[in-house]
Amino acid sequence: MTRMPRHVANIFVLAAVLVTTAALADAMSPHDWLARMSGAVQTTNYEGTVVRVRGGSAEAMKVVHVVSDGVIREKVVAQEGNGLEIIRNGNEVHCILPESKSVLVEEWDDQSTLFSTLPSSDIHFGADYDVSIVRKERVAGRQAMLLAVRPHDEYRYGHRIWLDIETGFPLQTKLVDNNGATIEQVKFADISLDAEIHSSAFAPSYSLDSFTWITEPRESHRQVVESDWRAADLPSGFAAESVNEEQLPGTEQPVTHILYSDGIARVSVFIASKTSADIGGKSRLGTSNSYSVANGDYVITAVGEVPASTVEKIAKSVQRN
Amino acid sequence: MNEAIRMQISAFVDGELPENEAELLLRRLSQDAELRDQVAEYLAVGRAMRGEAGFAGASELRERVLAEIDEREPEHAVVVDTTQSRSVWRPVAGAAVAAAVALLAIVGFQQTNVDAGDSEALLANDIVNTVEAESYTVPPSDETLRQYILSHEAATADSGANGFNSRMVTLEFSQEVDDLETEAEDEDSIDATDTSADSDNQ
Repeated sequence: MTRMPRHVANIFVLAAVLVTTAALADAMSPHDWLARMSGAVQTTNYEGTVVRVRGGSAEAMKVVHVVSDGVIREKVVAQEGNGLEIIRNGNEVHCILPESKSVLVEEWDDQSTLFSTLPSSDIHFGADYDVSIVRKERVAGRQAMLLAVRPHDEYRYGHRIWLDIETGFPLQTKLVDNNGATIEQVKFADISLDAEIHSSAFAPSYSLDSFTWITEPRESHRQVVESDWRAADLPSGFAAESVNEEQLPGTEQPVTHILYSDGIARVSVFIASKTSADIGGKSRLGTSNSYSVANGDYVITAVGEVPASTVEKIAKSVQRN
Repeated sequence: MNEAIRMQISAFVDGELPENEAELLLRRLSQDAELRDQVAEYLAVGRAMRGEAGFAGASELRERVLAEIDEREPEHAVVVDTTQSRSVWRPVAGAAVAAAVALLAIVGFQQTNVDAGDSEALLANDIVNTVEAESYTVPPSDETLRQYILSHEAATADSGANGFNSRMVTLEFSQEVDDLETEAEDEDSIDATDTSADSDNQ
């Protein structure tokens, strides 16, 4: 019997793997994809260039990310403007601000990744959102599956997520409003997944000898409390997740902080005495909207990555029982 | 963004797009927010790929936009008084063109740091301010709002979501606040110097 040459055998194996991957991808439900994405975000090593587009402006960031024994090492370098660098080793994070020659040292408890507020497979879709598979597209030179998370009303944003078919890693995400307009897009222009990354990749790009090192307070003083304040007119699906009394840095009076969530979108309501610095009306920072309104001797402020009408509706409905 | 548009943008930045096509491109950009985002993304990727820091790519675009403005004959002159820059906006042929150019300028300029000595950059900044339709009250120096956003992020992270991106924004925001505070301190110290100089003279 004649033996098949090795390179021909390899081609057959590769073809079989590709066919199997494609077949598996076609058979997966949207929830399967989200579960796969959650795992991939936690475990995948990657390096590449990410572009964030928001409000007609775009900025590129070089990103290196490695997870080893559950410890995240990451370096993000802004390619625009002030040259900001963020270097993370486990929970310790150095934010290097070259213009002001300073390094902010922070401790992050959370398992933050590059992508903010990605929906997880634990979300119960159906009441306020639905999730569906749209089509296959190419992103950063790779085959991706596009998923759409669509809200059922105007009080929350929708998500579009492009997941790498081979690994489930999110190659692109988009936050969209009710008209389908993009609020924010985060997209890999190029990416290497599970690449060999040398530890020197996490070294700062600057000599930090003459930099001022500033250690940020770990977090504001927070205490779980019961409160008689509540939002009386919440959009459907929103419920209180936590209520805290907080002493924020630079403020004399503690504020009451209620966090509302519908499982994907989150809105914080702050109740402060009127003696604190007043914030007038609505404002927007990045993808977050906020709305402030006076209520007797208090100022109520709602903040969250939701439409301006949502924070306004929630802030105006806050009352004391 | 399709290849044809990509080539048009590239030709426009390089000054190689015929005038009639440039006008069409500007008009299309003025009407298509999605395309403006795509152009902004395209330019950012280009800069990143070439390893350019700052806004080198945007300056090419700025040159082209300003050259485009210069080349136009004033049909219905639109004069924008730019009090801040103590200069007068050059006449532009028609409000529609002004808007289109300004919208393209937003794509290239919104993320740039404007050098106070650069009159062209100030000019562009003025255009941005003129065209921005949404009059949100964004108080960047509002420490209370900054604290609220940080606290919101911390609570969001605790509840299982993550906020790396918003962290980036907050850091940038924090730096803006720090810069403003530094400027205010500098002004205070200048005032103090002036006062002491006055008292010395007395």
